[in-house]
Amino acid sequence: MAVYKRAYRPYTGTLTPAWSRFLVLPRYAFSTLFRSRFLTSYFVLCFVPAIIAAGIIYLWNTPAARVLLGGPSDNNALSFAIDGRFFYYLLRGQSGMIFLLAAWVGPTLVAPDLANNALPLYLCRPFSRTEYVLGKMSVLVILLSSTTWVPDLLLYGLQAVLAGGNWFWTHGHIAYAIFVGSALWITIVSLLALAMSAWVKWRIAASALIVGIFFVAAGFGQAFNAVLRTYWGYLLNLTYLIKTVWEDLFDIPAVATVSRRGNIPWQDMDIPVGVAWITLLLLGFCCLLLLNRRLRAKEVVRG
Amino acid sequence: MTPLIESRYSEDQLIRFENVSKFYGDVLGVNRVNLQIAPGVTSLVGPNGAGKTTLMNLMTGLIVPTRGRVRVLGIPASDPERFFRVVGYCTQFDSFPRGVTGREFVYDSLRLHGLPHRQALDGADEAIERVNMTDAANRKVAGYSKGMRQRIRLAQAISHHPKVMVLDEPLNGLDPMARAESMALFQNLGAEGLHVIISSHILHEVDRISDQVIFLTSGYVVAEGQVHGVRDEVTDEPVQILVRCANANRVASRLFCEDHVVEARMHEDTRGVLIRTRDANRFYELLNRMVAEEGLEVEAVTPADDDVNSVYRYLIGSEGVNQ
Repeated sequence: MAVYKRAYRPYTGTLTPAWSRFLVLPRYAFSTLFRSRFLTSYFVLCFVPAIIAAGIIYLWNTPAARVLLGGPSDNNALSFAIDGRFFYYLLRGQSGMIFLLAAWVGPTLVAPDLANNALPLYLCRPFSRTEYVLGKMSVLVILLSSTTWVPDLLLYGLQAVLAGGNWFWTHGHIAYAIFVGSALWITIVSLLALAMSAWVKWRIAASALIVGIFFVAAGFGQAFNAVLRTYWGYLLNLTYLIKTVWEDLFDIPAVATVSRRGNIPWQDMDIPVGVAWITLLLLGFCCLLLLNRRLRAKEVVRG
Repeated sequence: MTPLIESRYSEDQLIRFENVSKFYGDVLGVNRVNLQIAPGVTSLVGPNGAGKTTLMNLMTGLIVPTRGRVRVLGIPASDPERFFRVVGYCTQFDSFPRGVTGREFVYDSLRLHGLPHRQALDGADEAIERVNMTDAANRKVAGYSKGMRQRIRLAQAISHHPKVMVLDEPLNGLDPMARAESMALFQNLGAEGLHVIISSHILHEVDRISDQVIFLTSGYVVAEGQVHGVRDEVTDEPVQILVRCANANRVASRLFCEDHVVEARMHEDTRGVLIRTRDANRFYELLNRMVAEEGLEVEAVTPADDDVNSVYRYLIGSEGVNQ
């Protein structure tokens, strides 16, 4: 038996707070992601709706500039206002773009780790699976936030400054709707992207699956509605669900609601807002369950 | 072995498995494992599917036992902040984040351990130097050879100064020079008071560096301890002893008369005889008498099957042996 000198000195210095360690993961993710010219170009493209909206807000609040461009000088002559509906349509435009961004970026975060059995690298440290998911999800949250609620709230601020008076306070619900509506959509698409890529472990297939869920499920829901002459097929339509929630948040009257069904034909009916919320939250929960099942340090082999 | 370990080491110096079983659904990982592993180099040997990686994953808290309890230096895996401070793991999988350099890989690992930026940089450089990778530290891991990848993985496993290092197949893919360097490193770490747990198929190298060996097959620990101690307990296999002397034929003829001697085979040069005996003590007594009373000049007496390879063959068979 060897004589053990016990000369080895473990590290005894200061440590960073445990809650902040998940931020180690996004560090290289961004530099890797932006090496792709296609992704960088698409990311820049995601800012175009906000830039256009900024121009519209400026013109709406500056009659002199409108006249220079050949427009009317009176705001009342304009067919729209800078209100909840304006920000609602802006967010809808952005939501489709960020969904594709999440479908592209999400699978690059988790699938390679699972395919290469790299999870033990992360999990044999004081670093839990929850922190791993948070770390990977933070990449998507930062990317998607920077193209949705962050510029939209800046636009809200711009409108408040240009409109003057107490516009900022009287339209506070818009800021709330922008933040909560974006946060919900970002959470759902991020979880969906991570869960699908954890499930199939193959980046390209995961991207295809995410886009497939988006379109195929919506198509299936529509067919379900048509065959059974109901509106519950909308529960399979992610766009429809988030639209319903946003319409409520931005205080935009929907075409119809179930509570007012009366003589309205089934195809014009809307699912209740509460049901839309519950469905989206359930979807997020299912994604978390899937991640919990798939993100294991050790693959369980059943023979 | 176990009572000796218990008396020599305290709870916070041992890796302890208490009646541990791990099942993956219907598939057995390991079953009813009771082990106490003392500091030094400990090797896990066994054929593929014997449960080596399962045992390592249990030791590193990556999986939880279906039954029983695992404590590493007295700390359960349910206390990750303390547990992972003392454990370093080098997996057998060749997995690295894309585009990362060797230094960044080790640095990131230290940041996940909670070291601040400056300390993480210093720790990464120290670990990289220890595995002789300083020159290649700023190159991308993707461009490393297999041996370099193995060494950079080793660097990340030792970078946070763990007290327990668990290395899954650390010698796989290394060229002879790199293997020798790695084995020297393991021995140094073991001599410094670390627990170095290694799984390997390369038995003669395991034999060289291990203070103790754990033999596994089909999820069961079939033997553990220092190799010659384990060999002594394998009583149903005759002990092989090689005697080198000038008149080996005389030794052979004397030994044929002994009932405990199963076989005596002359060496080709007639200056040696390989004995297989069921009672090594009686053989040594006889040999001593021949030296003392008959003036036999003996050059060397060497146990011929007191090594991991032979014990492995006796306990497990020839499956998965890589010499």
